[in-house]
Amino acid sequence: MSTAALAKLLAEVRAGDANAWGELYRQHAAAIFRLCRRVLPTREDAEDATTEIFMKVRQKLGSYDASRPFTAWLYKVASNHCWDLLRRRRIRQDLETGELEDMPLQHPDPSQIERLQTLHSGREVRAGLARLPDRSRMALVLRYYAEMSYDEIAETLGVRRAFVGVLLLRARHQLRDAVAATRAAAPKTLSAGAQS
Amino acid sequence: MSHFDEMTALLYLDGQLDASHAEDVKKHVNDCPACAAMLHAIAHEGVWLRDALAADEETIPAQLAGAPERESFPLGWAAAFAFGCGGAYTLWAGLIAPWQAQASEAGFTQGNLLTMLFFSGAFWRGWDAMLTGMGVVAGAILAAVAAWLLRRRWKWLTTAAVVVMGCALVMLATPSPAGAAQVQHGDPDFTLPAGQTVETDLIVFGNYVRIDGDVNGDLITFSQNVTVNGQVKGDVICFARELTVNGAVGGNVRTWSQSLTIEGTVEKNVTDFSRQFVLENKGTVNGSIMGATGDAVLDGTLGGDLLSAAGTMEIQGSLGRNANIRAERLTIGPTAVIAGATKYRGRETPKISPQAKLGSPPEITIEKRGPDYTRFRYYWHRIELWGAAFLFGLAWILLLPAVFFDATNACKKIGRSLGFGVLFLIVTPIIAGIVCITIVGLGIGLATLLLYLIALYSAQIFVGSWVGEMLLGSRYGVGAATARLALGLAVLRVLISLPYAGGWILLFVTILGLGGLILALHKRLRPHATAVAVA
Repeated sequence: MSTAALAKLLAEVRAGDANAWGELYRQHAAAIFRLCRRVLPTREDAEDATTEIFMKVRQKLGSYDASRPFTAWLYKVASNHCWDLLRRRRIRQDLETGELEDMPLQHPDPSQIERLQTLHSGREVRAGLARLPDRSRMALVLRYYAEMSYDEIAETLGVRRAFVGVLLLRARHQLRDAVAATRAAAPKTLSAGAQS
Repeated sequence: MSHFDEMTALLYLDGQLDASHAEDVKKHVNDCPACAAMLHAIAHEGVWLRDALAADEETIPAQLAGAPERESFPLGWAAAFAFGCGGAYTLWAGLIAPWQAQASEAGFTQGNLLTMLFFSGAFWRGWDAMLTGMGVVAGAILAAVAAWLLRRRWKWLTTAAVVVMGCALVMLATPSPAGAAQVQHGDPDFTLPAGQTVETDLIVFGNYVRIDGDVNGDLITFSQNVTVNGQVKGDVICFARELTVNGAVGGNVRTWSQSLTIEGTVEKNVTDFSRQFVLENKGTVNGSIMGATGDAVLDGTLGGDLLSAAGTMEIQGSLGRNANIRAERLTIGPTAVIAGATKYRGRETPKISPQAKLGSPPEITIEKRGPDYTRFRYYWHRIELWGAAFLFGLAWILLLPAVFFDATNACKKIGRSLGFGVLFLIVTPIIAGIVCITIVGLGIGLATLLLYLIALYSAQIFVGSWVGEMLLGSRYGVGAATARLALGLAVLRVLISLPYAGGWILLFVTILGLGGLILALHKRLRPHATAVAVA
């Protein structure tokens, strides 16, 4: 959709046009639902969150700055909502920033990383993602699904900007381990896959 | 430049290095195959992640097909609410009310439905039909709800059903062990003739049960009328409309009945939940008497303590130890002897004959009808109630934070929470009661009732937390959650204490919180990892 068409659509939504609101929703609901599905634990959580996010969007549409991309703003609202849901369900914080920075990372073997990418399907990546700590999972989804900048990720997750890189790298390592574990847990599938 | 690390590679690819540093990396990659390989692997991993996350394999659910216009009114949940109310009305109008009327015509005049249901009702001839009808309606409601809740987990449900059915088949196939009990079914009555002795426990089902002989074990009966003229060396455990003990009981008497009359001797204690209890002049209980009863007359001899809650209590006999009585009315006659202390708490001044022999001056507390707002104790009691609920809520926050949060959040969806709340509020005790009556399921039924009571008490916790969130906002952290809980519970406590409206508010809070808890538990039933992995 062109910028002008989007601006017209948003203006109609702001004016209370139900058809325009329906159109805006149809264009973006699937993407937001998918984001929720990637970060929240259950499908029902994602369904509820999607509805709640669009209710918020409708309320906050007046504060949307048209100079910024609408999709980015939408993802920001959605990710804030999801992160709020996730962190309020936890009692213990994730590891503090300092602790995480000090944790040593094993130096990767490029061939192993590429082998992992060759052997494992997107489905296995998503299964591995589900097993990551909330903040790691959130960071990966914000960066590689919502295409957020380091600044936006830092703002959403409430961490220092300089820490975002550490967070992403740590999350990648955790994901590699989790994905490798899915295959290790199903040796028959691996051998069958290798044969085919 | 020397070899760079993985972090530098990631920051370089994401454009996060300053220009000079980025230039160094670029030059180094041209000269160093190892670092180039790592950079390539990291870059390719980014693409791999993007592809995996963007995969559009799951269609948007039907309920999200339309744009939300407002806090959408949940038709499905409204239907559940209506269904629950309809189910309750059907139970009442179609089954319970006619049954009550019929029972009344047949001479069962007590007005208390619970008493009828569990005590006399259990021995009514039409019970089988009643049980079937109630069971079908309540079971259908629960089955419909369960099916709806588990509609996406058919596989899991099927497995569970197979396991349960398997267990049931194994239990049926396993020969029952020879128990040390004799079971008798009256046809329809049962009599153990004088001179006959049952060496083991005796379990009897029948309309009229008469024990003229001796039982060397326990006597357990489920009957309309039970008369014990002989000797029972063990306990007498009785679910009956009327129980009369003329003989000798070597153990305890525990009864849930409409009336209990003791004219013989009970060596140990009596636990009694009945509408009418009479310890006749010749009757003797060497232990204590504890229970709740409508009308109680103690004309005989009691060796131990009396601990009783009663509508009216009349004491003409002798009590060997203390009497602790909570009653509407108490009469202590001229022939009464109470060797220990006498404590009475009730709404009317007791009538104590001057000729009665009391071990010490009676301690009498007269309660006012309704709360006494002028007394500090009233307010202190409110604070105690608040404190108890707060501590209980704190336990939820610390032990089951996710369920606590989900239940609080679910309370915001008032329609669906009320729907489920009404359903489970009504159906759970009915099912548990039916299970209890089957005896085999007594443990399951009682456990269900216990969990039900815990859930009812917890309801205020979740609603209170939601109220606190409305007042204080939704900041993150244990401290904020605790503050929300404390304030929300305080507000609820005030609202519940309001005259007239308080009871309705409590009912609303209980239903809402119960529904919220059910929805939260439903969420927790779904396996965490599998749910996303399926996507």
